Amino acid sequence: MDKKVSLVIDGKKIETCACNTIVEAAKENGIYIPTLCYHPDLKPSGSCGICVVDIQGHRQPERACTTRVLEGMEITTNSKRLRDTRKLVLEMILADHDTDCPACLANGKCDLQDICDNLSVTTRSIPKKLKKLPIDDTSCAIQRDPNKCIACGRCIEVCSNIQTVNALTEVGRGHKVVISTAFDEGMGNSPCVNCGQCTVFCPTGALTEKSEIDLVWDAILDPTKHVVVQEAPAVRVALAEEFGMEKGLATPGKMYAALRRLGFDKVFDTNFTADLTIMEEGTELLSRATTGGTLPLITSCSPGWIKFAETFFPDLAKHVSTCKSPQQMLGTLIKTYYAKESGVDPKNIVSVSIMPCTAKKFEARRPEMNDSGYRDVDYVLTTREFVRMIKEAGIDFKNLPEEKADSLMGDYTGAATIFGATGGVMEAAVRSAFFLLTNENLPSPELKVLRGVTNDIVEATVEHPKLPFPIRVAVANGLGNARKILEKVKAQIAETGKSEYHFIEIMACPGGCVGGGGQPFGCEFVDRGIRGQGLYTEDDNRPLRYSHDNPMVAKIYKDFLGKPNSELAHKLLHTHYFERSQTDGKVVKETTHKH
Amino acid sequence: MLSDKAKASIKKLTAKYPKPESALMSALMIAQKENNNYLDRALAAETAKIVGVPEAHVYGVLTYYSMYNIKNIGKYHIQIDTNIPATLAGARKIADFVSEELEIEAGRTTKDGMFTLTEVECLASCGTCPVIQVNDVYYENMTIEKTKALLASLKKGVMPKPEVPEYLGGTECNVLLKNRRVKDSTSIEVYKKNGGYKALEKALKMEPQAIAAEVKDSAIRGRGGAGFPAGVKWGFLAKGTGKPVYLICNADEGEPGTFKDRQIMEYDPHLLIEGMVISARALGAKLGFIYIRGEFDWIADILDKAVDEAKADGKMNDLDIIVHRGAGAYVCGEETALIESIEGKRGEPRIKPPFPAVSGLYGCPTIVNNVETLASVPFIIEKGAAEFKKYGYENNTGFKLFGISGNVNKPGVYEYPMGVSFKKLLEAAGGPKGKLKAVIVGGLSVPILKANELEGLNMDYDSCIKHGTGLGSGGIMVINDEFSIPELAYRAIKFYAHESCGRCAPCRYGSDSIKELLKTLLDGEGTKKDIETILHICNNVKGVTVCPTGEAFTVPIKAMVEKFRNEFEALVK
Repeated sequence: MDKKVSLVIDGKKIETCACNTIVEAAKENGIYIPTLCYHPDLKPSGSCGICVVDIQGHRQPERACTTRVLEGMEITTNSKRLRDTRKLVLEMILADHDTDCPACLANGKCDLQDICDNLSVTTRSIPKKLKKLPIDDTSCAIQRDPNKCIACGRCIEVCSNIQTVNALTEVGRGHKVVISTAFDEGMGNSPCVNCGQCTVFCPTGALTEKSEIDLVWDAILDPTKHVVVQEAPAVRVALAEEFGMEKGLATPGKMYAALRRLGFDKVFDTNFTADLTIMEEGTELLSRATTGGTLPLITSCSPGWIKFAETFFPDLAKHVSTCKSPQQMLGTLIKTYYAKESGVDPKNIVSVSIMPCTAKKFEARRPEMNDSGYRDVDYVLTTREFVRMIKEAGIDFKNLPEEKADSLMGDYTGAATIFGATGGVMEAAVRSAFFLLTNENLPSPELKVLRGVTNDIVEATVEHPKLPFPIRVAVANGLGNARKILEKVKAQIAETGKSEYHFIEIMACPGGCVGGGGQPFGCEFVDRGIRGQGLYTEDDNRPLRYSHDNPMVAKIYKDFLGKPNSELAHKLLHTHYFERSQTDGKVVKETTHKH
Repeated sequence: MLSDKAKASIKKLTAKYPKPESALMSALMIAQKENNNYLDRALAAETAKIVGVPEAHVYGVLTYYSMYNIKNIGKYHIQIDTNIPATLAGARKIADFVSEELEIEAGRTTKDGMFTLTEVECLASCGTCPVIQVNDVYYENMTIEKTKALLASLKKGVMPKPEVPEYLGGTECNVLLKNRRVKDSTSIEVYKKNGGYKALEKALKMEPQAIAAEVKDSAIRGRGGAGFPAGVKWGFLAKGTGKPVYLICNADEGEPGTFKDRQIMEYDPHLLIEGMVISARALGAKLGFIYIRGEFDWIADILDKAVDEAKADGKMNDLDIIVHRGAGAYVCGEETALIESIEGKRGEPRIKPPFPAVSGLYGCPTIVNNVETLASVPFIIEKGAAEFKKYGYENNTGFKLFGISGNVNKPGVYEYPMGVSFKKLLEAAGGPKGKLKAVIVGGLSVPILKANELEGLNMDYDSCIKHGTGLGSGGIMVINDEFSIPELAYRAIKFYAHESCGRCAPCRYGSDSIKELLKTLLDGEGTKKDIETILHICNNVKGVTVCPTGEAFTVPIKAMVEKFRNEFEALVK
């Protein structure tokens, strides 16, 4: 809608799109309206009532988050009545909130703290009445504390309408309402896929990641343990914003420096195995495409997506790449290849990963992820946990020197680093698939058509005279879009026996990993694009742009794995899948086999 | 495991509605009924799968509506109404008696699994209180003796046939209550014999716009409680959208003190059906719903039967009606919450705009009208708007049903012209029992009036506002001096806190906080500041809730505290 309207807010005349709500119009014009449950990326629920404003001619205050602007509206955002109402509502919320702030993971990052502070809520006329409900500890990735829930509904909006997982619901009625899972069995016993988007949107500490900070410190401070760490691409563009630097700036050098100062014994980089994944998966794609194998091939590095596939689309299991995620590949190689090269006994190696992701905590704990003979990845820290550790150690991140990762499994190309953005895996894969098919590189490594954060499916056809066939690809970010593309594929196969696509990239999180469930708070969808842009900039600046050019990848094949999809590569770097119950997310049976 | 019969019934239901999810509430009732009146996770999951909704969603629905049991429940669920009209009629004594007899507290089940005792909210039996609902059956006009006999019978495993209570009401206008005392009044033959379906005959020869114009001209104001002119609401219906238009009859009747719609549905269902068929013609609706509160199970059966009769008699060639049963939620009386409920969700209100007339059920143009409003349409069409306007006066036209309960000698529903004096109504109801202390005249959600404030009060929308109260649903509750206002206030806020849907913070916290503060005062632990806080909450929650439930409790509680301040201050420790 391009139509503009004029209205007055607090005496200031403004012009804005007729499609905007009062909150959006105010924000555009630098006018502050207090909010709590409102989030710019989500449909407003009107739950908290904090954003009420007075509109000339209206009998009662209206919610600024749900009221559309109209031509000639006259709005007042503050008055004694409005202020009293806002303070009262907050006082009432605090009365049943477990104000356990010093011991809460959201301390300092809590929307409730912020708004109470902003409005100077200090009166106490409402009797304290705690909910006293048990904490939901059933998931290894996400922790839920209903005593901190303010029933804003954001998590349900994300889980049901954006991710289409439907693990959460409002339970009970009236004052008793809390958010929970079916029959209060807990997130670990629900269809939750661990994507963690709920934790990103939760305004309080009701939904957070299950913390492994203490476990990792214990390992680092244990002199008998050799602690090896890897970090996902999306982590390096989400640190700057937490340490007073430009949002989206890629800071891998400082990231490695911080890790060493925390005490990690070896610092590798998940981007190395991202390059490796491209070799394995590219080879897998070509094999299927040229020998009548199952197409489309679908990427497998997003564990939220994998659990989603196992739960809701188990009959498409054969389409999913057998490649493990880069995290899991590196974990296996740390306790085999690295152990061999370094002479460290793998039983003393603790393998840690820093991820933008909460689902990786679940992935690491999958029973089958032990091809090294040990747990391939022992602990997973989210970016948020990593930031906490940096602060705990008193490290001045902004002024750290630029260091390098340990190169055995720490060197990477530009193709690897863009994995963190939606469309990045596809772009990296096409760069190498083209080479594998034609023995030449693309005229340009950049496939801009695949870039950008949109709430839709991105499709492209890669055509070139040297290609034996045009490659048809699709990219889906967010599980709602994943569902859409998969329904389309199913329908195409049901109708004609085949689908138009060769290769599909699916990322569970909107924006891809840069918008992951473990990333720093306060990141609207538009910000995810800024982080993604940081990765594309890094790609631009890297000397090598193609995974197949990574010399350390060539080395690992030469010295250890043989060649892509070799028997050893299959044993260590590939996995298999299951069907899961939509009731409790638990395994029902195997759908593919490991050979 | 669901029986094959249940599975078949549920599948049939999913096909009956435009969208299968709408069958969820009834499907869950079917599953519950065949499992000793409760639903475990496995049954819920099975039902979810057949209807095609996620399990978390089903759990949300199960824990929202009071009539679903997710824990084991006794063979006989003894539900005693202790809301305001029932309390005024002596329900407290009955509840205490049952608790003593069964040796359990409210909310508990006897050790032998025979009885579960629950105190419930208004069952719309205000004129025949005290009332006990055992499973699906109402036992009205209960005394200690009758309760003793009921329990004795249940202990033997026999649910006695309830006594049909004597009807004490009356009518001056003889329209809506015309057939109230007629034998077999629910039958279409009797209805037609008494002049029924003549209005429909006339309407079928009229253009839809002409029908709508007549209703608009009558100036009838919505009889549910909001009093918004029905003809004007019909005019908001979005046209030319290409989407189906739906007509929904709001038969949720949950406002305490209100038991009038019940008289029409239970004793003159064809009057409602005729009103709906005529209205649907005006609106272009091909499918109508009657959303009836779940507690009225037998009345829903009466409506089902009447719909079948009307279809068989060729009266519903252009309209199908689905009788949709609620499952216990006062807020579903609010039109958008009602629509959410028909869509198979928790009955929580939507943000307006958009209004239902533009985007309602399944996002389609929808008109929701009260039972009494729709039941008035046949008269308006048959006799004409001018005849309707002879009752009442400008902006307050027509005949109205007034439910009178509490401390009066002849509680019942009385049909009088709009604007009738309160004095006259009170006389018709046999005058007050005991010394009159106060009256709440519009259902519970309006300001209370002290005995000395009743002089000159006329019962219509505008007069009530001038008098500092509201006509609301016309549910009049008469209070004598045996009752303490703080105790009634506490019972009232318990009702609102129980019914608050929980969607918005001001209402769910506001209602609960007032409840806690009043409890503290009644326990003798309260301070003067607590009274101020109660008023502060009333002043600041009013108007900032997503639906009018916020006004529904802040307005009456504030009035009670302000008008009977001395009673509240006397409680301060």
